[in-house]
Amino acid sequence: MFSNLTSLVQKAQSLIDPTQALNISASDRNPAKSTLFRHQFRLPDTQTPLQEITAELTISPPASVAANATQGEKDRDRDRAGYHYAGKLHLSESYLCFSTQPTSFLQTASTSTSSGFTGQTHGAGPGGNGFTLPLCAIRRVERLHSQSYQFALAITTWNGLSNASVSEAAKSTVHQQKLTIQLAGTRQACERFCDGLKRGLKSGVGEVGKLKRVVAECYSEYLLQGEGKRIGDPPDAGLGMQFRYPGDARKLRDRSKMRLWGEYLRDNGRNVTLVRQPTFHKLIRVGLPNRLRGEIWEQTSGSLFLRLEQPSLYADTLTKFEGRESLAIEEIEKDLNRSLPEYPGFQSEEGIGRLRRVLTAYSWTNTEVGYCQAMNIVVAALLIYMSESQAFFLLSTLCDRLLPGYYSTTMYGTLLDQRVFESLVEKTMPILWDHLVKSDVQLSVVSLPWFLSLYINSMPLVFAFRVLDVFFLEGPKVLFQVGLAILRINGEELLDAADDGAFISVLKSYFSKLDESAHPKSENAKLRAVTRFQELMVVAFKEFSGITQNSITEQRMKHKDSVLNGIESFAKRTSIRNLGPDSKRLSVDDLGALYDRFYGILYERQQRDQMIKEETDRRAKASRAKATEVVTGLGETQSIEKGRVGLGPSPTLMDYDGFREFLAGMAKWATTDLPTPPEKVGDNEKHSYFGSSMKRRESSLSPWGFGNPEPADHEFMQRLFRRWDVDMNSALTLQNVVSGLAHIKGKGDIMGSITYFFELYDDDGDGKVDREGILRISEALLFLSRRGLEGSLTPSSSMVGLSEYEAGNGARVDNAMVTTNERFLSSVSAFIRRCFEYADPDHPQNQTEPIEAVDNGAFSIGEDEDEDEDLLDLGDDPDTKSAKKAAELPAVPAPSDQPPNSDGQRRASKAHAESANAALDPSKPLHITLPTFRMVVLADELLEQFFESSFPASFRISDKLISASATNSSSLTTFSNIGFGRSTGPTSQGGLGGIGSAGVVPPGKGLRGVLDNIVTDGMRVAAEVRRRMDEAQKELEKNAVHRPDEEEDDEEGYDPPRISGGYDGDPERRSVRSEDRDLLEGADAEAGSVKSPEGVSTVTQTGLSPLSPPETFRPRTASTATQKVVEFER
Amino acid sequence: MADSTAAAPKPSSSVKLVLLGEAAVGKSSLVLRFVNNDFQENKEPTIGAAFLTQKCNLPTRTIKFEIWDTAGQERFASLAPMYYRNAQSALVVYDLTKPTSLIKAKHWVAELQRQASPGIVIALVGNKLDLTNETSEPADPLNDDGDADTTEGDDSSGDARKISTAEAKSYAEEEGLLFFETSAKLGTNVTEVFTAIANAIPETSLKGARGPGATQAGAGSGANDQSRVSLTGPRDNASKEGCAC
Repeated sequence: MFSNLTSLVQKAQSLIDPTQALNISASDRNPAKSTLFRHQFRLPDTQTPLQEITAELTISPPASVAANATQGEKDRDRDRAGYHYAGKLHLSESYLCFSTQPTSFLQTASTSTSSGFTGQTHGAGPGGNGFTLPLCAIRRVERLHSQSYQFALAITTWNGLSNASVSEAAKSTVHQQKLTIQLAGTRQACERFCDGLKRGLKSGVGEVGKLKRVVAECYSEYLLQGEGKRIGDPPDAGLGMQFRYPGDARKLRDRSKMRLWGEYLRDNGRNVTLVRQPTFHKLIRVGLPNRLRGEIWEQTSGSLFLRLEQPSLYADTLTKFEGRESLAIEEIEKDLNRSLPEYPGFQSEEGIGRLRRVLTAYSWTNTEVGYCQAMNIVVAALLIYMSESQAFFLLSTLCDRLLPGYYSTTMYGTLLDQRVFESLVEKTMPILWDHLVKSDVQLSVVSLPWFLSLYINSMPLVFAFRVLDVFFLEGPKVLFQVGLAILRINGEELLDAADDGAFISVLKSYFSKLDESAHPKSENAKLRAVTRFQELMVVAFKEFSGITQNSITEQRMKHKDSVLNGIESFAKRTSIRNLGPDSKRLSVDDLGALYDRFYGILYERQQRDQMIKEETDRRAKASRAKATEVVTGLGETQSIEKGRVGLGPSPTLMDYDGFREFLAGMAKWATTDLPTPPEKVGDNEKHSYFGSSMKRRESSLSPWGFGNPEPADHEFMQRLFRRWDVDMNSALTLQNVVSGLAHIKGKGDIMGSITYFFELYDDDGDGKVDREGILRISEALLFLSRRGLEGSLTPSSSMVGLSEYEAGNGARVDNAMVTTNERFLSSVSAFIRRCFEYADPDHPQNQTEPIEAVDNGAFSIGEDEDEDEDLLDLGDDPDTKSAKKAAELPAVPAPSDQPPNSDGQRRASKAHAESANAALDPSKPLHITLPTFRMVVLADELLEQFFESSFPASFRISDKLISASATNSSSLTTFSNIGFGRSTGPTSQGGLGGIGSAGVVPPGKGLRGVLDNIVTDGMRVAAEVRRRMDEAQKELEKNAVHRPDEEEDDEEGYDPPRISGGYDGDPERRSVRSEDRDLLEGADAEAGSVKSPEGVSTVTQTGLSPLSPPETFRPRTASTATQKVVEFER
Repeated sequence: MADSTAAAPKPSSSVKLVLLGEAAVGKSSLVLRFVNNDFQENKEPTIGAAFLTQKCNLPTRTIKFEIWDTAGQERFASLAPMYYRNAQSALVVYDLTKPTSLIKAKHWVAELQRQASPGIVIALVGNKLDLTNETSEPADPLNDDGDADTTEGDDSSGDARKISTAEAKSYAEEEGLLFFETSAKLGTNVTEVFTAIANAIPETSLKGARGPGATQAGAGSGANDQSRVSLTGPRDNASKEGCAC
C-alpha cells in the first residue's frame, strides 16, 4: 500500500508544476540554496544567504614567519604582502563567509551553480580556503583606499581579545587579526553589500557577550596565552585531561602537533575567527592533538555556531527536565555502564555522569530520536575530548546534519546508507561484490556498525579518532571512503572468505593490525614506516576521491524508496501482529488493508495539512515580501515527507475528522451528500480512495484533498468514534480501529450485531434507550441505508426474479436494489412505530397506551400479509398493490410527494397515530430495552437482514470502495436521471416508461439519485418528528381536524411542472394529491422546499418528458415513508 | 595448528542461529558464555549484530553454530530480518526479572514463526536466573560482585523473579518452543540450550559444512573439536573461535 501510495504521490507530483514538485518532495535531490549555503559553511538553520559578491581575500603576513613544515605552502600562496585568495564573499543574517570555491547561493543563481562546487563538501562543510565569521566577532571594519578595486574592506576581529579579563595581559602577545577583502563588482553591488554588512554588524553587537562566553570554553584561548602567562585553569578539554587521552602521546607526536597548531592558530585566528588556509586541511589529515581535538571538531562541524546561538541550551535543558522520566532515559541507563567500558573515564562516576547528562539532555531536545544504542558509544568518544556542552551540540549536529536518520526510531538513515555503500562496492569493486553475492555474505552485517558508531568500536580508538577528524571536516562521504578503502585493501583475502564468519574475521584481524607497517618487508625504510592506517587514509582519500557528497546524495535518492518500503512493510507486519486479541477476528488480509487505510489516511492528512500550510505561507510571503527576501526555506522542503512511517515517528492517532475520512474510504454511507465539484465526474483517478488528493495544488487546499469524496458527518459516526475510542483520548489508534471493526465485522452473528447497535445508543449503559435514542437509531438506519444496502439480502416476495435482473444489465440490478432500499425505508418507519409501541414506560402510569396500540391489528407485528402494504402505505389501494405484485417491483402509481392514501388508510393511521402519539408525549418518558429492540428488529425481514449482513458488510475493508465517489457525485448532482433505471421493468406499467426514458440519461445513476432524496426526505422527517415532539400533545388535538386547504395550495406552488408533465391522466396520483397531501405538512413540505434547487429543476425537466411517468415513483415512496412518520403527530 | 585428524571425523554441518530479545536481557552474555565460557559485567551493547561461531559435538555429528547476536533496542528491530534470514534456529531471550521482556520475546516468536524460514527451531530462554533464589548452582558468592547486569532495582530482596517458570513454560509449550531458564553469569543451563537446539535440528535440514569456508575459517577450531566431546563439562577457552564486530 505504501508503495502504491508513493507511486501515486509521485504521479500526482508530476502533474504539478515541475519546479514546485521538486521543492515539495525531492528536497534531497534539489535542495534549497539556503540549505546548500548552510551546509557549505556549517551554519545553523537560522541563516540564509542574503548577499554575495566576488571578492579577493588578502591575509597580512604573520608576525613570525617561522620556518616549519608548512613553509612551502605559504610560499606558493604568498605574493605581494600576504596571501591572496579569490572567491566569493557571502553574507547571512549573522555571518560573513568566504570560500575560494566559486559557489553561488543567490536566489537568482541556478541550483547547479549552487551545488556544482559543493560536490566535495555539500553537507560536509568548508572544503575550500576561507572563513566563517560570526558578525559579532568582527571588531571593526574600515574602508581602504585601493587602486585596483573600488572597494576594499579591512576587517579587524576580536581574535584573542574577546576574553576581557586577559586582554590586558595578553595585549602584547596577541597578533591582531586583520583581514583585507577587496570587493569586485559594480559600485552599486559593492555598496549594497556594504550596507547589508553594516546592518548585520549593528545587530551583531548585542551578541558579543555570548561570543565571549562561548569562546572562553575553547582550549585555544588558553593555549595561545603563551607559556608561563596562563591564568586560571584550562578550559575543559574532555575526560582525557583527567583520565589520559587514548594512545601513546609520544607515539602520536602530540607535542609537535600541538606546536604546529599553536602556530597556525596564532597566525590565522582561533575558534570563531579561524581562517582556513591549505595548511589547516593538512594539519587535520595528520591527526589532531588531544587537547585541541574537541575544539577543532566543534569548529569544522559547525556545532560551535550552534553553541554560539544558544550558549546555555545544554544547561537549561538539564535544569528544565530535571527529575523527569522517559523511555529514552530508561534506555540510556541500561547502557551507561557499557559505553567504552575499557576507557578508565567511563569506569568512574565522573565519566558516567557526563555521559548520562549529555545523552539525557539530547533526548529531551530531540524527542523524536530520543536515544539510540550506538549514540552512547559516539558520545562517550566525544566526551574524551570535549566538554559536556560541546559534546551536546556536536551530537545535535551529528544527528541532524551529518548522519540524518541514522539514530531515528526506524534507523532509515542507517539502512539507506548501507544500501548506498553496497551499491558503491558493487560499482567500484565488482569482483568482490560478485563474490559476496555468490557466497551469500551480507556486507551490511559488517559495515553497519562502522557507520552507526563511526568506526569507534570497530577500529582501535586512536585510529577511529583520526577518521573522525576528517569526517567532521569533510562530512559523511568520509565514512564511505574509509569503508571502501578497507574492503579494497583486504580485497584478496576477502575473496577467499566464503562465509560471514570468515569475512568478519579477516576484517577483525585487519583492524587489530592497523598500527603495523603496511609494507613490513619493503627495502625502503620510508615505505616500511608507513602504517596500515596511513595506507588506509591514502587509499580512502586518493583512490576513492571520486566519492563525493553529490554521488552519495544521488545514490541515497535512488534507494530511498525501496529502503523505506522495506521498513514500512516490516513495521506493518509487526504492528498487525501486535494488535491484540480482537484482531484475531479479522483476516490477515483485512488487517493489512486496515493498516494501510489507517496510516494512509493519517499520512494523507498530514501531507495535505502541510501543503495547505505551505500554500498559505507561500501566498502570504509572496504578497508581502520583496522578491529578494523570499527564501526557499529548509523548513518546508524538509518536513514534507515527515509522515512516512519509515522515516521515524509518525502520527499514530486518528482524530474525528480523520476517522470520517477513514470511514468514507470504506463505507459508502460515510460520504457526504453535498454535491462534489463537477470536474471530477468521469475522472478515473478517483477510484483510489485517497489517490488524487495531490493532483492539483489549488484543489488540494480543500481539507479533504482534491477529488476525494467529502466525508459525511453524522451523529452515528460520532457515536461510533466515541465507542471505538476506548482510551477516551478523542483519538483512535490502529488498535482501537481494529477492535472496533472486529466487533462489527468479526462476529458474523445477528444478535451480536443488534446488541452492538443498541449499545451504541445506550449512552449511560443502563440497558435502556429512550425516545430520543430510538429516533436517533432510526435516523442512523436511514443514514446507513441511503446509498443502498449491501450484503446478501434475501430476495423476498417483492424481489422474486432478482436474479434475472442481475443477469441482465446493470440498470436492472440497480433497479432491484432500489426496490430493496425502498422497502427498507418502510421497514425503518415501521421500526420507529414498533419501538414506540413496545417501549416500556419509565413510569407505570403510561403503561396502558402501548397496550392499546398493540390492539390495533393493522399495525401489529408479525402480520406479514399486511406488512408490505403497511410499509409502503399502499394497503388500501388495490390497484397499486396488484400492480406491484405483478411487476415484482414496487408500484409506480403516483408522482413525487403525492403518496396515495385512501380514507381507510387514513383512518387506520389516525387510530394508530393517537396511540403512538401518546408514546411521543414527552411528559411520559419511555425506553426500549435490548430484548425489545431485538424483537422489533427481528420482526422485520429487511431489518433482520440489515443487521445480519448488510451493516457489517457496509464496511469494506479489503476491496476498495470503487464507486464511492461515482455514486456520490452522480446521485447527488444528476438528479435529472430520475426514474430512468426502473423504467425497464418488465411489466406493462414499467415498460411504458422504459421505452421513453432509455437513452435519456446514462444508465445506473438515476435511481440512486432518487433514492438519496427519498432517504434524505425520510431523515428530515425523522428530524422533524423529533423537533416536534415537544409540541406533540398540542398538535395531537389540533391535527385531529383536517388540514386547512391553504397548505395544499402552498405545495401547488412548486407542483405544477410535474402535473403538466403528463400526470394529469393518472387517477391515483390525483386522489393521492387531494386526499393525503395534508398528511405531509411540515416535514415533507419542508423537505421539498429545502431541497436543493437542482432537485426541483430536474424534476421539472424530466417531468416534461411525456414518456416517463415512472420517474415520479421514487419521490412518492419517499413521501409515503414520510407520511407514516408524520402520522404520529395527529 | 597441527591438525590431528586421527579419529574418524563425524559428519559436520553448520547451523545458523540468531539471538533475539529485548535490550539488556543478556543475549550477548549467553553467547559469550557459550563460546568463550566467559562473563563480562559491562558488555558493550551490540551495535547491529555480532557474529560468532562455536561447535557443538553430538554423539552422531558435529554442529557448527554460526551465531548472530543481534541488538536488542526496539529500533534495531527493523534490522533483524537481515540477520534471521535463512536461520535454522533461534534463541529468543527474555529477562525473567522483567515482564516486558517476555512480551517482547513473544513478539519475536510470532515474527519468526511467520517470517523466518519454515521449520526454524526456536528456543525460549529466560535469562538472569542468578537473580532469583532458586538457582541450583552453589555459586551464590559470585553474586556479591555487584549486579551491574541487573537494570531493575529490587536485588536486595534476594528474589527478583517476575516471571514464573510455569507461565513461560506453558507459553513455550503452546507455541512448540524449547524452553530453558539460564544464567549467563553462572553458566547455568547455557550449554544445555545449545545442545538441545542442536538435537532438535532435523537431520534433513542440515547442509554440509561449507567447503572452502569451513576449511579456512574453521581450520583453527578443527583441532579442538575432538577434545571437546563432553558439552556439559567446562570447556577450555581455547575453543573460542570467531569474533564480535
